[in-house]
Amino acid sequence: MSHYLEFISLPAAFLTVLAVSMASAILFLFKKVPLSFVRYHIGIISLPPIVALCGVLSSNRSVMAGPWRFDPLSWLLALFVLTIGLIVQRYSVRYLFGDRFYRKYFTLLTLTTFADTLTWLSNDLRLLLACWGVTLLGLTWLIRLNKEWAAARKAAAFTGQQFLISWLILLAAVIWIAQAAGEWQLSLVLEKNNLAQLASWERTGMNLLLIVSMMIPAAQFPFQRWLLDSVVAPTPVSAVMHAGIVNAGGLMFTRFAPLISGEAVQMILVILSGFSILLGTGMMLVHVDYKRQLVGSTIAQMGFMLIQCALGAYIAAIIHALLHGLFKASLFLQAGSAIQYRETAAFKDRRFPYLWVIIGGMLGLAAGIGYWLASGGEGYPIISTLILAWSVLFAWSGLVAFGSGRIGRLAGLAILGGAAFMFKFIHIAIDSLLHETVLSGNQPPAPGLIWVLVILLGGSAIGFCLAPKRPSKVFTVLYLWLVYLGEPHKDAVESHPTYLSKSLSYRRSLR
Amino acid sequence: MTTTLAETLIWEKAVEELDLQDLVKAASSVIAPLGPIRQFAARSPWSGLEQETFEQIARQFKDLCDIELFPNESVLQSARNRGEIDGKFLDEGLQNWLGQHSFELPRTAVEPFCRAALMENPPPNDLITLPDVKRLANKLSGLKSHLKARPSVKPVCQRFEQIGGEWALKDLNRHMIKWCKLFLDESQAVWPMPNRENGFYQAWRQLASLDPALKLEARTQIKNLPNEADMALKAALSQLEISHSETREYLEAHLLALPGWAGMMLWRTEQQTKNRSLLMDYLAVRISMELVLLKPFLPLPKQRREEQELLEPFIAAWLHWGNLPINGWYQLPAAEQKARLNLAWQFDKMVRNRLWLEAWEKTYEKQLREKIVLVQQLAAEPKMPSIAQFVFCIDVRSEPFRRKLEQIGGFETFGAAGFFGLPIETCKLDHHHSHPSLPVMSKPQFKVMEYLPDFQYKSFHERLQTVHSLKGTFKTMKHNLLASLLLPEVSGPWLSMQTLARTFLPRGAGRTFRKLIDTWMMKPDVELSLDRTEHPETELPIGFSEDEKIQYAKQALKTIGLTDHFAPFVVICGHGSRSVNNPYAASIDCGACGGASSAFNARVLAELCNLPHVRLALKAEGILIPEDTVFAAAEHITTLDELHWVYLPKLSDQAEEALTRIQAVLPKVSEEANTERISKLPNLKTKIKHPKMEAQRLSEDWSEIRPEWGLAGNAAFIIGERSLTEACDLEGRVFLHNYNWIKDKNGALLAGIIAGPATVSQWINLQYYASSVAPHFYGSGNKATQTVTAGIGVMQGNGSDLLTGLPWQSVMQSDHTLYHAPIRLLVVIQAPTEYVERLLNQDPAFKQKVQNGWLRLASIDPEGNWKSWP
Repeated sequence: MSHYLEFISLPAAFLTVLAVSMASAILFLFKKVPLSFVRYHIGIISLPPIVALCGVLSSNRSVMAGPWRFDPLSWLLALFVLTIGLIVQRYSVRYLFGDRFYRKYFTLLTLTTFADTLTWLSNDLRLLLACWGVTLLGLTWLIRLNKEWAAARKAAAFTGQQFLISWLILLAAVIWIAQAAGEWQLSLVLEKNNLAQLASWERTGMNLLLIVSMMIPAAQFPFQRWLLDSVVAPTPVSAVMHAGIVNAGGLMFTRFAPLISGEAVQMILVILSGFSILLGTGMMLVHVDYKRQLVGSTIAQMGFMLIQCALGAYIAAIIHALLHGLFKASLFLQAGSAIQYRETAAFKDRRFPYLWVIIGGMLGLAAGIGYWLASGGEGYPIISTLILAWSVLFAWSGLVAFGSGRIGRLAGLAILGGAAFMFKFIHIAIDSLLHETVLSGNQPPAPGLIWVLVILLGGSAIGFCLAPKRPSKVFTVLYLWLVYLGEPHKDAVESHPTYLSKSLSYRRSLR
Repeated sequence: MTTTLAETLIWEKAVEELDLQDLVKAASSVIAPLGPIRQFAARSPWSGLEQETFEQIARQFKDLCDIELFPNESVLQSARNRGEIDGKFLDEGLQNWLGQHSFELPRTAVEPFCRAALMENPPPNDLITLPDVKRLANKLSGLKSHLKARPSVKPVCQRFEQIGGEWALKDLNRHMIKWCKLFLDESQAVWPMPNRENGFYQAWRQLASLDPALKLEARTQIKNLPNEADMALKAALSQLEISHSETREYLEAHLLALPGWAGMMLWRTEQQTKNRSLLMDYLAVRISMELVLLKPFLPLPKQRREEQELLEPFIAAWLHWGNLPINGWYQLPAAEQKARLNLAWQFDKMVRNRLWLEAWEKTYEKQLREKIVLVQQLAAEPKMPSIAQFVFCIDVRSEPFRRKLEQIGGFETFGAAGFFGLPIETCKLDHHHSHPSLPVMSKPQFKVMEYLPDFQYKSFHERLQTVHSLKGTFKTMKHNLLASLLLPEVSGPWLSMQTLARTFLPRGAGRTFRKLIDTWMMKPDVELSLDRTEHPETELPIGFSEDEKIQYAKQALKTIGLTDHFAPFVVICGHGSRSVNNPYAASIDCGACGGASSAFNARVLAELCNLPHVRLALKAEGILIPEDTVFAAAEHITTLDELHWVYLPKLSDQAEEALTRIQAVLPKVSEEANTERISKLPNLKTKIKHPKMEAQRLSEDWSEIRPEWGLAGNAAFIIGERSLTEACDLEGRVFLHNYNWIKDKNGALLAGIIAGPATVSQWINLQYYASSVAPHFYGSGNKATQTVTAGIGVMQGNGSDLLTGLPWQSVMQSDHTLYHAPIRLLVVIQAPTEYVERLLNQDPAFKQKVQNGWLRLASIDPEGNWKSWP
């Protein structure tokens, strides 16, 4: 009985606190409300993530509340999106203090993150579309807020156009799916007998539409431009993008998993995202603006997440989306710390610690094999194994093998151990939370796997081979292309922020 | 015959080359060198232009870059509303101006017009477009021939912009930004720009000829450019048809298009011998690129050389301010029409804003004078000998702290530039880089390093390396294709925890992290390499010789004005700031130490003054330091208003007593200084209950956009005895340097103060001024949309000029309200008039600054009379 009550009341409580928080965000728009209200606003919007946390901790099955679906996955996504939203808003309290659009930032940040949360809660496809549309609109608006700045205006216009295309494609896909299945409820659409009715070409078409519509927000090649231009937005806006917007693809595909899993057309995603990994990493290697390096890295990471989806590793994709979202949001928020002296450990004047590196290699191999055996063999785990083994060797070299003296090595070992423990812990926790809700265990297509391996190994090899011969023509051309592709659109750059001098003269009229 | 011809040719070539080099050097005076942001050094953007008046330069910049160097109307208006501008001075200024100019008009017509123009709103824009006004303007067009300024030389791409080709200038800037940041990168991009060791021009030529951002045609042209930068520059200039006489101005205009990147090139030119020709390279690249982009459109249609002033604004002005209706004009004789147009033309916005600014500055001077003179009459009480003496930096933030400290009683404070006259480069323990810890206009002559005995050093080194290797591994993993895919999953949870802690417990989390690092490092008490050791690897000698120690200690004490009546405990206080996640952290450190904490220099001086042989030698020079007197060093943390000891030697009994007393009162001093300072920072709360905790939060909060006000508000530099200002609240707006003219018979001390500390202060002042009046050009824009680039500076948004000056938030209280008052520095010297006259005669550079309006000068003579110098 008590369980029953709990499940009924938690969604209700959640929707209520969302509504109250939104009301607070709207209230803050009014000039009559003093600016200091923002502190109460932060208090209010910290309730939804708390309720979502309760949801994650208590629920282990799916509950429908009207058009909303509360299952472990949606609770987890809600917790993720709302937590980043809360962090970003709390950050903005001081960071944007004095900004002309101070109030609007909070309203829009709240609106965007809430709509995003609701997207992943929607069971009704129409609602999902509407919420997703509002999310994209909210983000575009956030980029555009400082509209007197021509560069921001241009970037927002382009982003808005891309988002609109993405949304329209999603609209088409959703209508098609709903028509074919005769049903708007996602959970019903995805039932086996409904899916079985679809002709194979229909499934391919739907898949194609979903893929394109999700590649745009994830800034995958050839749609990377909007994210590159969005560096123009204030830091908190760049951070909030990582709360379920750039990583929407992973979340959406996981939701639609039964429809898309095992489709051959996913190869397109694998190919383009594989290319995006190389492109994003390459941009990060050649570009020197800190925020541009960060968005380059996002492109690569999102490519990896989409590949995980395409290979059927949905839980891995969700874990990657969440942890990367938090990781990248944190890095953006501390982007002001990027000015540092080059005080990296001086490796060069030291002897190469062969023995230690060999131990690291063996450790990496052992970790890889252990992981491989534990995960049960073929498919996506091959890729994880490769990455894991390499990373262990890499981190071991940096932290332990090259560690200086006993103190350094011991500390390095401790750090490595801590990281490994946390990694394992998070994986087990999320895995046990989601394994019933999220489809898993599918065999990915072999060509996909091979392509990903080629991309990852080949990319590493290219980097390794070209880097020493720097001035070679091949390298120079590659370098220039990476610079070129990573540059923002020419209209989204302005040599001096002239809007500021104007804003000095507007002051009086604004009082 | 042939040999002579060849010789002549070579000779001619040499002359031309020399010429171009000189032209580039001369042109570079319009920009200021810009160093990396981590050693943010205050520089006046106009230090090379002081041979002309402020107004002349303002007009040039208006014409060339369309920026205003005088505060605009709304800034002035709100200053007036706050009572910071006295109408009386405005009137005086107007009368003065009218006295200097003559118009063939009755004073009764001129004065009301000018007064209305000064006081009232500008004419509405639609007046200019009225058909009546237009008709009249046509009618009077014959009179406008004399209303002409000499047109400035504009870059071809700027002229092209005026005929509808906006893209050219934008493209040119964009390309330059790209190449500059890739070339100048210091952040160790994993794949650095190929060929950059060959120099900027060479690297650019090799890369741009393959650049996919350019059309094939353009790439071929670049490929065929001359091998050498100077040849390329010369060729481009000649193809763009820039005459020899225009070249300098042409180069200047190009340098001013992106003054930040050009400034960084200039800085490198000055710093590194291998980069001597970098600025030439920059100009060669820029102008060659201009040529390549515009080649299909050359030659441009002839520019209308005489850009004529339109008459409509003047007619509108007379209509609006002079009550002269349109019809009235037709009844005027031609001479008067001309005179009236001339008046409206001459009494333009620039003049009006200048008069306003001068009135603002005079009002401030008056207020300062009243404060000081009033207090002079009060302060006459005899003083008790003090138990401790503190020497602070001249920095404006020292003043409130000194005031609070003195109010306790028993302490005496001094002001001197925070490098304490020590031309040193400092190197912290186990760091690879050293910092020139002195004003940016001078070069270091010695190097002082922190060091440890070997047995202590080894374990410290290992602990430090561990921190570095953690950061280093994170960075290399981030840049590795395979490892980067796992990194978020491994480090994400830890980073998130840190983010949550920093976000919701900014004060506690920041302090905890700082403590954790400190606990891990356990930095032992280091020693300084003060004794001269010859070190072949470095260019600078390490440490001082015995003689130099004496000389520098003596000079420092004399400059400070501390040569007798030593208290048993003397504390030399450097200052530094604390902030996190702030690319501008160095801008709130000590400006006299080139953007770093001055604690290091303070410690060096204190140690020097404690050396027995130095004391012995000083005694011979008449500076008697009692045996019981001990020098110590401390760091004044400006963000927290706290004093942290950095050097406490063995104390005498009396000094010990003084220290106990100081320790007892410091919390109270900090608390009071916090209360005064925190109330000036914008805050959501109207009343702050715990100023100390708020100050701690400001220094630790990673989301804080204004950790402190820094030197915003600075307005004056007082050179004189502390007794002059002791009893006044100078609101943290004044630099204070001790000076006693009686001890300076030959004026050498004063000359030194003017050449060093006063110039530093003037540069700081003009930097704040420039960042306030032209925030987009001389300020570094909005902090929230900045991105760090190349590890050396910041850009706005997707890319921009490398930004100079201070960010918008450092001078603005909010987007609507300015905090810093953009007025030029007022230097006040307490000395007899002859001293000031002698100074002006002996220091032509300073005289020029005063005469041309780059700072203002006043003096107080021994009788207490205030004199404003022209």
